[in-house]
Amino acid sequence: MKLLVCVKQVPDSTVRVKVAGDQKAIVPEGVTWAISPYDEYAIELALEHKDANPGTTVGVITVGPPRARDALRQALAMGCDDATLVTGADVETLGGLATARALAKVVDEVTPDLVLCGKQASDDDQGFVGQALAETLGWPHVAIVTKFVASDGGTEIWKEVEGGHEVWKASGPAVLTVQKSQKDPRYPSLPGIMKAKKKEIPEKDLASLGADLGGPSVEIRAMEPPPARKAGRVMKDGDPKALAAELAKLLRDEARVL
Amino acid sequence: MTPFVSGTDRELAEAVRGFARGILGRIPAAEESGEFPRDLIGELASLGVLGLTVPEADGGVGASAVAFALVLEELAAVWPSLAVGVAVNSGIVAGTVARLGTPGQRARLLPQLMDGRGLAGFCLTEPSSGSDAASLRSTARRDGEGWVIDGQKLFVTNARYAPFLIVLARVGAADLQRPHAGITAFAVPTDVAGVTIGPPEKKSGLLASETSTVTFESAHVGVESVIGEIGRAFGQVALAGLDAGRIGIAAQSVGIARGALDRARAYAQERRQFGQAIASFQAVRLSLAEARTHLEAARMLMLRAAWRKDAGLPYTREAAQAKLYASEMANRVTYAAVQTFGGYGYMREYGVERYARDARATSIYEGTSEVQRLVIARALLSEAA
Repeated sequence: MKLLVCVKQVPDSTVRVKVAGDQKAIVPEGVTWAISPYDEYAIELALEHKDANPGTTVGVITVGPPRARDALRQALAMGCDDATLVTGADVETLGGLATARALAKVVDEVTPDLVLCGKQASDDDQGFVGQALAETLGWPHVAIVTKFVASDGGTEIWKEVEGGHEVWKASGPAVLTVQKSQKDPRYPSLPGIMKAKKKEIPEKDLASLGADLGGPSVEIRAMEPPPARKAGRVMKDGDPKALAAELAKLLRDEARVL
Repeated sequence: MTPFVSGTDRELAEAVRGFARGILGRIPAAEESGEFPRDLIGELASLGVLGLTVPEADGGVGASAVAFALVLEELAAVWPSLAVGVAVNSGIVAGTVARLGTPGQRARLLPQLMDGRGLAGFCLTEPSSGSDAASLRSTARRDGEGWVIDGQKLFVTNARYAPFLIVLARVGAADLQRPHAGITAFAVPTDVAGVTIGPPEKKSGLLASETSTVTFESAHVGVESVIGEIGRAFGQVALAGLDAGRIGIAAQSVGIARGALDRARAYAQERRQFGQAIASFQAVRLSLAEARTHLEAARMLMLRAAWRKDAGLPYTREAAQAKLYASEMANRVTYAAVQTFGGYGYMREYGVERYARDARATSIYEGTSEVQRLVIARALLSEAA
């Protein structure tokens, strides 16, 4: 089976992002970049399939700036077989639909059996590209996936639902958007890191793919950090009974949680 | 950017840092029971740590000495008992076999120390032979097609879970004029008749690393067990191995100090006395600043020695300097870290006194600080004016 995992490089979850002066983007300086966490789960799901089915190949692709090469390198170190970087001018402001259309062009070329994406990226949380890619390709799509297995003439896909899961079956190629699963993504092994160093990562020019990069898009009008939290109130002096009554009153009338 | 460290070296160390964070929960029980967690050896093998220094052609990772030092620092920052076992297996033993082994020996022995079945050990020290290592009394004599080894070796790290041991023994009679003469290295499987592994020693620190006496009573091994040249092992194996091993001890020392300082820093910012965090008191600030500075100086000495090894330059003096400075530094920094915690620091529960106990070994094994000074002085005084 041939699997293709689409990943996005995002600020590492431990980074405290700052909004830039124009309020349209974050300050890129000092940011540590990482593979978006749900995309890491998608890689893990693909690699687990490969572990169980040695004939499997796992490719990884990203549409992003040249620094996104590091994310691909990490995916290779985790055990992916090959990687492709799609990059070009204005790639950082590319909308979700244009990203999906660019990915679709590469999918046409690579012809994987399944495409896996994280269910959403941890930077903008749009949860859009996977679905848009399925639509562009005309492929079926299953969301919130935690497991898949090859079965007679297709793939059985576990989709998480409230309190359990549904099993879907795809008879041909499909796009899966992957949920966090119980097994954490693997660490890159040390031999994996050394091997990844030696692999070529081919680069494709975004503009030369022939994808329609226009069309409807969204524009960021303004970005602002969440409001600073107000200092909490400590009630400690006084009769415990009176304090409890006062606390209950505040929780009801001021905090409105009771 | 850090001098001497490549991007690959850093990535390898970061991967091990991620792994090391995941094993924190297993430390207290293993330190308490004094048993090395055997399942961890398999995990280290899967990650690729055990074959880090073994050439790729021999199935290893083929990483640099710099990467190996950084990886040992990462392991020691979390768990020094684990770092010492890896240092012996993947440092002095793997290095000796990869450097001096015939293709057949490499193919037979290297997989055993990379595949997770155990951690190999190195037997040099004896009851009456410590700093004066060349005075060792273990013997090896020819017997038919092979060799017979007799003697007793002390303080053998990993012996209880080693697939094989590198053993230094003398071939022929001792010669007081030429004390190094005859010393020969053998790779001895631990399941050979006549090899007895003693119970774990009760040590002051490094409690989860099992250290034992190994006794050889007419232990028969084949001719294929001789590593390097007969009679030349003191220089080829012991001295060369210790040079590399000292970089490893420097790396452990840096890791130990870093682990202790990280805890002291966090505690100083959280602990309040006299109405403020103790990190706001100059007595604590100066101590932390001093610790950080000496720690980084030690790391630079360690990296320089490792970088020289990778570059094929002589590094005996540099390794001795790194080991001397880093191990003494680790003793001072862990003392200061416990001091920052005050009474809590003396309690095992807080996990900082462990670093102080573990640091103590670093200025003793692979040559005491005094022996390092001898090595450094010898190099200094032999330099042309």
